[in-house]
Amino acid sequence: MSKETKVADESGVDKGLVAMFLKMSPEERLRANDDAFRTILELRDAYRRQKADGRRPE
Amino acid sequence: MPTGGRKPTGAGLSEVLVGLLEAGVDFILVGGLAAVIQGAPVTTMDVDIVHSQSPENIARLLAFLKSVEAVHRRFDDKLIELKEEDLSGKGHVLLTTGIGAIDVLAVIEGGRSYEDLLEHTVDIDFRGHTLRVLDLKTLIELKKTSTDPKDKQRLLVLRETLRQLEEKYGRGEDKEDSEDE
Repeated sequence: MSKETKVADESGVDKGLVAMFLKMSPEERLRANDDAFRTILELRDAYRRQKADGRRPE
Repeated sequence: MPTGGRKPTGAGLSEVLVGLLEAGVDFILVGGLAAVIQGAPVTTMDVDIVHSQSPENIARLLAFLKSVEAVHRRFDDKLIELKEEDLSGKGHVLLTTGIGAIDVLAVIEGGRSYEDLLEHTVDIDFRGHTLRVLDLKTLIELKKTSTDPKDKQRLLVLRETLRQLEEKYGRGEDKEDSEDE
């Protein structure tokens, strides 16, 4: 999202993101968190693998 | 065999909730996931619950946790299995399981127990079960006293979520009592 379209107040809270999340049902919100959770694990794994590969002697 | 430092599978935290509900455990969902369910756009990596400490409930909770191979969450790989007395004490029990991390809390800020928090919950229909969730107003009250920088940042998001909810549905029981910033 570009800086021009992001609606945040002086506290830094993204009001648009809050509004978007409030339009979802509780089940959809849980699914969104589960998706984020899985994505974070996948990215952490990828990062760990990349670091491990970098340490291996050629 | 699980280890205290193992990483969770990608099952997702919803599965932890479903497991607890299907096992008939009496609990209140608190923490980040409680905020997520009520509309706060935050991400959390564990399930935080406050459980009823009746002997029957502790037995149900222990059986469920053992079924998902719960062990104490640790920095190292030392395996410390869960015991019944862990769940009947007054402390926080931080666990890793085969389906995700779960924090089992006897009491939260101010020494508030399951019974103390019951009147501050909302019931959510979730996959054929009723999920008891600590309401947003109380979550905000708890975060106000926290000194954790992560909580302070999250507090701003929770307040904005409550503000938008009040704007949409009016200032009902979820109204924050004081604006003491």
